Amino acid sequence: MSLNITVCIKPVPDPDYYDKITIDPVKKTITRAGIPTIINPVDKNAVEAALQVKEKLGGKVVVITMAPPNAEENLRELLAMGADEAVLLTDRAFAGADTLATSYALAAGLKKSGPFDLVFTGTESADGATSQVPAQLAEWLDIPHLWNVQEFEVEDHTLKAKMSMENGYINYLVQMPALLAVKRSINKPRYTTVMGVMKAKKKPLTVLTAADLDVEPERLGLQGSPTKAGDIFTPSLARKGQQLTGETEEIVEQLIQVLRGAGLNLESLNVNEAGRE
Amino acid sequence: MGFFQFTEEQEMLRKAVREFVEAEIAPHAAEWDEKHYCPVELFPKMGEMGITGIFVPEEYGGAGLGHVERAICLEEISRYSAGLGIALMTHHLGIAPILYFGTDEQKQKYLPDLAAGKKICGLSVTEPGGGSDFMGLKATGEFKDGQWVINGRKCFITNASVADVDIWAVVTGQDEKGRALMTVFIIDKDTPGHAPGREENKIGLNGSSTGDVICNDVVLGEEAVLGEVNKGAKIALSAIQEIGRAGMAAISVGILRGCLEEGVKFSNERILYGKPLNRLQAIQFIIAENRVAYEAAKLLTYHAASLKDAGKPCANEFSMAKLFATEAAIEAAKKTIDLMGGYGCINEYPVGRFLRDAIATIPAGGTSHIQKIIIAGNAIRGN
Amino acid sequence: MTTNGAGGIWVVAEQVAGRINSVSYELLNKAQQLKNQLQKPEPVVAVILGKGAEGLEQLSNYGAEEIITVFAEELEIYQNDLYVAVLQALIEEKKPSIVLIGATAIGQDLAPMLGARLKTGVAAHCVDVRINENNQMVAVVPAFGGKVLGDILCPNTSPQMATLKPGVLGKPVPLEKPAAVVTAFDPSAVLQEDQGRIKALEIVREEQTGVPLEEAEVIVAGGWGIGSRENWDLVEELARLLGGAVGCTRPVVDEQWVQSEQQMIGTSGKSVRPKVYLAFGISGATHHLCGMKDSGLVISVNKDATAPIFEASDVRIVGDARTILTALIKRIKG
Repeated sequence: MSLNITVCIKPVPDPDYYDKITIDPVKKTITRAGIPTIINPVDKNAVEAALQVKEKLGGKVVVITMAPPNAEENLRELLAMGADEAVLLTDRAFAGADTLATSYALAAGLKKSGPFDLVFTGTESADGATSQVPAQLAEWLDIPHLWNVQEFEVEDHTLKAKMSMENGYINYLVQMPALLAVKRSINKPRYTTVMGVMKAKKKPLTVLTAADLDVEPERLGLQGSPTKAGDIFTPSLARKGQQLTGETEEIVEQLIQVLRGAGLNLESLNVNEAGRE
Repeated sequence: MGFFQFTEEQEMLRKAVREFVEAEIAPHAAEWDEKHYCPVELFPKMGEMGITGIFVPEEYGGAGLGHVERAICLEEISRYSAGLGIALMTHHLGIAPILYFGTDEQKQKYLPDLAAGKKICGLSVTEPGGGSDFMGLKATGEFKDGQWVINGRKCFITNASVADVDIWAVVTGQDEKGRALMTVFIIDKDTPGHAPGREENKIGLNGSSTGDVICNDVVLGEEAVLGEVNKGAKIALSAIQEIGRAGMAAISVGILRGCLEEGVKFSNERILYGKPLNRLQAIQFIIAENRVAYEAAKLLTYHAASLKDAGKPCANEFSMAKLFATEAAIEAAKKTIDLMGGYGCINEYPVGRFLRDAIATIPAGGTSHIQKIIIAGNAIRGN
Repeated sequence: MTTNGAGGIWVVAEQVAGRINSVSYELLNKAQQLKNQLQKPEPVVAVILGKGAEGLEQLSNYGAEEIITVFAEELEIYQNDLYVAVLQALIEEKKPSIVLIGATAIGQDLAPMLGARLKTGVAAHCVDVRINENNQMVAVVPAFGGKVLGDILCPNTSPQMATLKPGVLGKPVPLEKPAAVVTAFDPSAVLQEDQGRIKALEIVREEQTGVPLEEAEVIVAGGWGIGSRENWDLVEELARLLGGAVGCTRPVVDEQWVQSEQQMIGTSGKSVRPKVYLAFGISGATHHLCGMKDSGLVISVNKDATAPIFEASDVRIVGDARTILTALIKRIKG
């Protein structure tokens, strides 16, 4: 069994810097200057899942993204991690796309880049975090999908997979070709090795524009997006706080008063805990 | 000759190593220092990463890269743990003689496991009588009945208690002028009579093990001779000059970056009189000085490494890089402690460790005075 | 009564194993508010799919004026292709103008798929929705871990869809409304077209231990600053002493100091609003703050005086989390 596996990834501003993001009050645009662009963290879990399937069953792993031209660097990193080929969809026509238009372009790119038995994505991106692209991509590709996957097995063109949900999970059987959106806890992405870095430069990285794809232009980008963005603002979380100071015991004593003031009955808890009713 | 510049692959390699270091090394560096623990369990992981065998050719299981890439790995690791840095640097120091002077059989026997980090290598040259005067070595090798018998005590040996493969330099004869002739041997750690001795309690670089190694009538076959009999001085010297000093320079570049980054971070976060510390000019001066010191040390070190990779003479360049980088690291660590005030003296912050580590880099590969003698000698001869 | 032609504000009520998820009630409350903001009020309708469900009258109590039940054996366990096919058929027939879905694991999968089928827009995991002066729904959507909020509209396609995070709308309140009209929709025609590409095998419920975060009046939360798995026991012990629930941040989940990521609070975890929130060793990354910002009293302990958590706190203690935890536990135990 040799599988064609495609992983959709997204370069995002590094989540460690999100408290540095501001809004230009006049232009009403998001200022993210100086924030590095990284591969969306859970997308590395998706690549890891793909590499594990390939190592077990054989095949090829293609990574694909729709992003500005400098995303080539992020794709190279994934080639260094172990992916075999990379495809970058980049065109001004894709700009301003919501999840429906993004997944439309990605689907066209996937079809263009060859056959696929399995498609992996992460559950969500760190920046927009809509978590909507996986399901919508599967719809455009007309293949079944599962979201929030915490475990799966491939058995002869059928997937056995576990969708995680609040306080439980659901087990499914899914026919391939299929798309799985994996969650962070599914695996631990491998480190990129020095040898991987050296191999990456020889691996193919294809850049495609809208003209290379079989698409209806009115479904792309801003024009193809049913949702429209309105006002943006930063919520204020500030509270007027007091600081407790002193030696540890003094701080704890003040803290006890604060907790009592908030209506906590510490004495009764104390008695119950010690079992001395 | 062009100015040194990193290639795209080298930048990617740095990023990959940095991710590994931030996950596997940074969180534990302080603990290793405190417990004087050399994290041997990381060697196989560094092996998978390609770090332990970075300049070993692919046919022997290495990554097949060069000394610029080696310096990148050492800088990235030493940014957080110069202690592990010197353990790795010494591993390379032992590998290099096997790679550059070994027979094909020796390479086949040792390099794959060393490159994979399954075994750790060490180099034993220094003796109680002195390090840099290694023509005055006392350890001996005698050829008796077709076998070599090694005796002696080596001291201040990094990886002494953790090395699986130990490269020894001993005196095996005299030339016509009565000067010692040296031969280098490869000794497996379990060879009868070979054992680590006392462990030193060092001021810094405590993520590594340092101590004595003793050979007491260690019997070796002729296949243990590295290079030619009585021609070992060149082997030991080239390892120390071009691998050892190179490594210490790269480790110090890592410490310098640590000082720079920790100082910037602290001065951004620490609020004094209602403003971040970084608004104070005196603080800015320290940051600027650290920045320039890092840049200068980096250029000297990587430039020398690129000469080594190009097969050009580089011993003098490594001496200069080692002298400058190690001394600059001490200065930078001291200034960063000043910048942080009381916090600089608290072990929850890493800068005190950086200072101790920086001081401990000085004797490894020859003290600053030795480097100056070498550099001056070269300059006087017109080099 | 039928909503045909009358638009309608729909809430897709979620049931798991026959029990209705309380986010459905939060959405119905909100649907009633939207109704009042519309230029011409439209009926609030709850749609529920499954094999059956207990307590349908609860949907009515919280705001449903009509309930459409779609009950069939095949719909017992959530299966996205079947659920979407049924909802698509219903929506195309009855043409609601707004569809609200809870941003649960099921809802977050169902809503975008349905949006793609209907070629309409879905605003994802919103923190609020309202009707604007043009009679359009405006959804408030967080981005960059909640650092930025943006308004999302869906002006040209119908229905206007949104998923809302459980907990962000506050505790639902029962409304004094007459009992809803219940209409059953027969899905058999839709289900016959199923291509069988997915098959749900079983649903497994995991036992919840301790007080659930969503219901807790006191939450003791810990972050990276707790330092180790051993120290984490102190967080658990204080929560037990205070009768509260244990919460955490992403690094704690990654380090596996907690057993379940269900304890994670933040944009990609739970949104909570306890009376008292104690944060130990939490620096206060935006995505965490957004999950706890509606708490009553916020008390935080961090050794870094510049930690962002302090800005969002009522009571600040600059100090080592472990030291304060140990001393506080000792003091409470007496």
